[in-house]
Amino acid sequence: MSIVNHFPVLAVVVLLLFAYLMPLLMRWRKEWCVPATLGAIGFSLIASLYMMWQVMTTGPFMYQMGSWAPPWGIEFSIDYLAVFATMTITIVGLIVIYYGTQDLLHELKEQVMGWYYTLYLLLMASMIGMVLTNDLFNMFVFVEICAIASCGIISIKESRECIEAAFKYLVLSAVGSGCLLLAIAMIYMVTGHLNFTYVAQALPQVMDLYPLNILVSLALFLVGLGVKAALFPLHVWLPDAHSSAPSPSSAVLSGLVIKVYAIAMIKLLYKVYPPELLGMAPIMNMILWMATLAIIIGSMFAIVQDDIKKMLAYSSIAQIGYVFLGVGLMSESALQGGILHIFNHAIMKSMLFLSAGAIIYATGTRKLSDLKGIGITLPVPTIAFSLGAFAMVGIPITNGFISKWYLALGSLDVGRPFFAAVILVSSLLNGIYYLPIVVNAFFGEPEGAVAEPRPLPRQMVVSLILLGSGVILFGVFPSLILGVVSKAAQSLLGLL
Amino acid sequence: MTMIDILLRLHQNSYYFFAIILFIIGFHTMLSHNNLIKKVIGMNIMDTSIFLFFVAIGYVNGGRAPILEPGVPYTAYVNPLPSALILTGIVVAVSVTAYALSLIVKLYKHYGTIDAEEIMRIRGGDIQ
Amino acid sequence: MRFTSSFLPVWIVMFPMVMTAVIYYVEQHSEKMRNALAVGTSLVTFLSVAALYPYIMAGNIIEYKMFQLLPSLDISFRVDILSFSLALLSSFIWMMVAIYSLDYMCKEHGCNRYYPVLIITLASCMGIFMAGDLFTLFVFFELMSLISYVLVVHEETVEALRAGYKYLIMTIIGGLALFFGIIITFELAGTVTLSGATLIKEPSTLAFFAFISFLIGFGMKAGMFPLHVWLPDAHPVAPSPASALLSGIMLKTGAYGLLRVIFHVFGFEFMQREGWTVILAVVAVITILLGSAVAITQDDLKRRLAYSSIGQMGYILLGMSILTERALIGNIFHIFSHAFMKSTLFLCAGAIILKTGKRSIKELGGIGKQMPFTMFAFTLAALAMIGIPPFNGFLSKWTLSLGAMDAGVPFYVLVLLLSSLLNGLYYLPIIISAFFGGEPGHEHDHVKVNEAGYKMLIPIAILAVSCLLFGLLPTNLPFDLSRVAAEFLLRGGQ
Repeated sequence: MSIVNHFPVLAVVVLLLFAYLMPLLMRWRKEWCVPATLGAIGFSLIASLYMMWQVMTTGPFMYQMGSWAPPWGIEFSIDYLAVFATMTITIVGLIVIYYGTQDLLHELKEQVMGWYYTLYLLLMASMIGMVLTNDLFNMFVFVEICAIASCGIISIKESRECIEAAFKYLVLSAVGSGCLLLAIAMIYMVTGHLNFTYVAQALPQVMDLYPLNILVSLALFLVGLGVKAALFPLHVWLPDAHSSAPSPSSAVLSGLVIKVYAIAMIKLLYKVYPPELLGMAPIMNMILWMATLAIIIGSMFAIVQDDIKKMLAYSSIAQIGYVFLGVGLMSESALQGGILHIFNHAIMKSMLFLSAGAIIYATGTRKLSDLKGIGITLPVPTIAFSLGAFAMVGIPITNGFISKWYLALGSLDVGRPFFAAVILVSSLLNGIYYLPIVVNAFFGEPEGAVAEPRPLPRQMVVSLILLGSGVILFGVFPSLILGVVSKAAQSLLGLL
Repeated sequence: MTMIDILLRLHQNSYYFFAIILFIIGFHTMLSHNNLIKKVIGMNIMDTSIFLFFVAIGYVNGGRAPILEPGVPYTAYVNPLPSALILTGIVVAVSVTAYALSLIVKLYKHYGTIDAEEIMRIRGGDIQ
Repeated sequence: MRFTSSFLPVWIVMFPMVMTAVIYYVEQHSEKMRNALAVGTSLVTFLSVAALYPYIMAGNIIEYKMFQLLPSLDISFRVDILSFSLALLSSFIWMMVAIYSLDYMCKEHGCNRYYPVLIITLASCMGIFMAGDLFTLFVFFELMSLISYVLVVHEETVEALRAGYKYLIMTIIGGLALFFGIIITFELAGTVTLSGATLIKEPSTLAFFAFISFLIGFGMKAGMFPLHVWLPDAHPVAPSPASALLSGIMLKTGAYGLLRVIFHVFGFEFMQREGWTVILAVVAVITILLGSAVAITQDDLKRRLAYSSIGQMGYILLGMSILTERALIGNIFHIFSHAFMKSTLFLCAGAIILKTGKRSIKELGGIGKQMPFTMFAFTLAALAMIGIPPFNGFLSKWTLSLGAMDAGVPFYVLVLLLSSLLNGLYYLPIIISAFFGGEPGHEHDHVKVNEAGYKMLIPIAILAVSCLLFGLLPTNLPFDLSRVAAEFLLRGGQ
């Protein structure tokens, strides 16, 4: 029994442990905080890469907590989707917090820095737990930790916008959690199990006896996770929350947190609920229409914003629509596109938020109309922003193109070209609000604070460069990530 | 189905029925009140209703706690899992409540009111 | 030879790309080096393309797969006679423009931005012509469209930025339409590689959508009605050498794409059977008449030239819709003719604007006396534009008309004649007033206007003489190339 066999649980537990060490370190060994945080997330990254290697070579496996076999013990299911998500979370999380170590210094008060790392590590742990777990109630617990931690990293910046946004988020998220718990109760009531695998086995047998319970539970899951993933029309909390938070928080919230709920939804829809159920209710069509509205309306709202971070937040609503579009279309390519977009959007959106954060850090302005000529005075963040913008529009050789390609192909595969047209229209809308910013940034005379920005610290520049090269790398060599993504999609659709 | 049948069924499923009523009361309180504290109370009522529901699922008529004692004959016992889960749920709910209340305190410091509409008005005035 | 020839296309595309980075680095230190490198790069590119001549004329097709992006989606290159002809033409004009820019741009700001952009657009243009599949074509098409935005807004005036915005949005619409077309093709055919066999064989609603998407995507670039709205704004605001390229070459990439779509994706028999060429024909006729008619009303010299480009692109679209051999020869030859004529005209306009600072046609009376050489070149190209016999413009129109007669549609000949008349109406007054007009309002103006420098005059001279030469000689290189290319396409691209 070597330590690598316990990597699935260690990826979560080490983060939790370090989370609670942080305030102590902050008190006695202040300079250890940053390396400890980076180390903990780095460890999770190594663990997730190792798991990925294991899964890719020997196939998915289960990890049982304390060797208690299910249905008594809690299980972690290390399958293609889970390792993919874990890797996404840890890579992006690591880069964002590396950036954050400098950016937070000017956004937060000195004494709460340790607590920020605590919350951040908790958030990481809960996200990894959520994607790995194979147990409904365990998932619920991680969802709650995630909800509190993500509200925490917003409200830790004690401006009144942040507090208010965090409260709104918390209340709506509590409604979501309520729905989630009720749904779990309904499932438990009819099946007597909480383990995904066992529930999935029991559901077809009891479906004729309690069809209503099962449908209601599905609806409650959709609402509960939909609120948290900001699926239109349950997105009302997102723009405030993501735009007022400190930039690293915004990056991780928009880039990762909303996606994790989407992954939970994917797991429930494809792994737990029997396919026959989908014939009983037009649940996939509902998801598709919600996604379509999210894509179009999110982009439209983004066009009229003048605050850079608010615009990015509305754009996230549209982008989560892409992920759900991929989920709802029920074809292999579309599901691949949806899952791939989780990764691609995580990179693009966190890069966009971080470059916006860098611009705010250096110039103090967050109004789009003030950013004339910023490309000349602050090249790195502006080029990163432009790359992100191109990826959002879906210009080839950026990673955004690849996910759009798969989504559009998937919608044609199932004979619904309408949704391919939706993707195109939204790309155009993305172009309408992203490209003028890019143009404005490079052509025009810098004025005021934009003309003489503060120099950016090395950490911020390095993070932006890393993410930017990710956008290009996964746009030119998508096969690097596509292997695990297509395996994940195939195994979800039962093709493996 | 006569009225009596319905009543009979409601009586048989009274746990569920009242849990749903509580859930709706909580949900309604949460959404319709402007007072932030009342929102949090509504949230708690909603959570409680789910806890009751969950515990009721595991209840067996005439069952007892699942503890084996020497000499006592084996009888029906209550499913302990829901109760155990709900303990966790309660802990989660308490922490969310505490956090929400602390946010309300901060909001009161910033805005001098705990009325959601008032806060919106003050903020709206800020922006324009 | 095998290795060289399969490697050359990659070299032709990659060399200017790499040189862009080199130029960007060098220009921080020395302007002279930058200029030399820019001209040198375009020269080397031209020579590399020309080196393919014997191999291509022997009837070979070079195919080279660079790497795979996604399953059955590659970045690949394929050079056949059509690719070669257009690549040769573009790299030649590019070289001329690069030489011309040396003098023209030294009065302009932001040269350090101009030259790298000029060279990277060359690279992407070569990429478009040498693309081996629709996806590669699309990638380079987007690259070229987006980067030439920088050329459009080079002046950074409010006007330029507004035109640039329009250009950008239209480019994105076009790009997305192309994306849609390509993905439908991929869905229906399972591949987007250009080869002898056509990709879509069965007509269906989806196939029709694909055709319309391609038409929008490439037609937008080709200035096709009603998607031409960006063109008359974007071309005049760019610096003149850039306008010459935008009008002379980059419009043609749209036409090239449509040719590839017609012959490789659908096949021309399919197009005729389904009657989709009618759509193209209607649009082409409207484009011709609209472009020529609106040009008459323009007073700004470059704007008039831009509208004239729309009309001329209409000829090319018309040739594509007729689809007889001679029409096709005329069509491809007109791509050559128009490139020579329009770049001459824009370069002359640039020389005039540079020396006099005037853009309004009304103020250009008597300019022929001050700048006789430039105006002479202008006259040559304008006459070619109208289609007066010994010039290349005549030859292309003549061949097109013959093709139209072959197809039994004399109506098209009428359209061509009418448009020639209109061309005469807007070009001749410029020439007449330039040589014979008085100098209204200039009698008291004693500022002597000189000819532009020789670095500008030589490219103008070469291009203008080519206009005459390629019409005068019955067998010349462009005409031969067009003929072989047309035959090649009608054979089914094998």
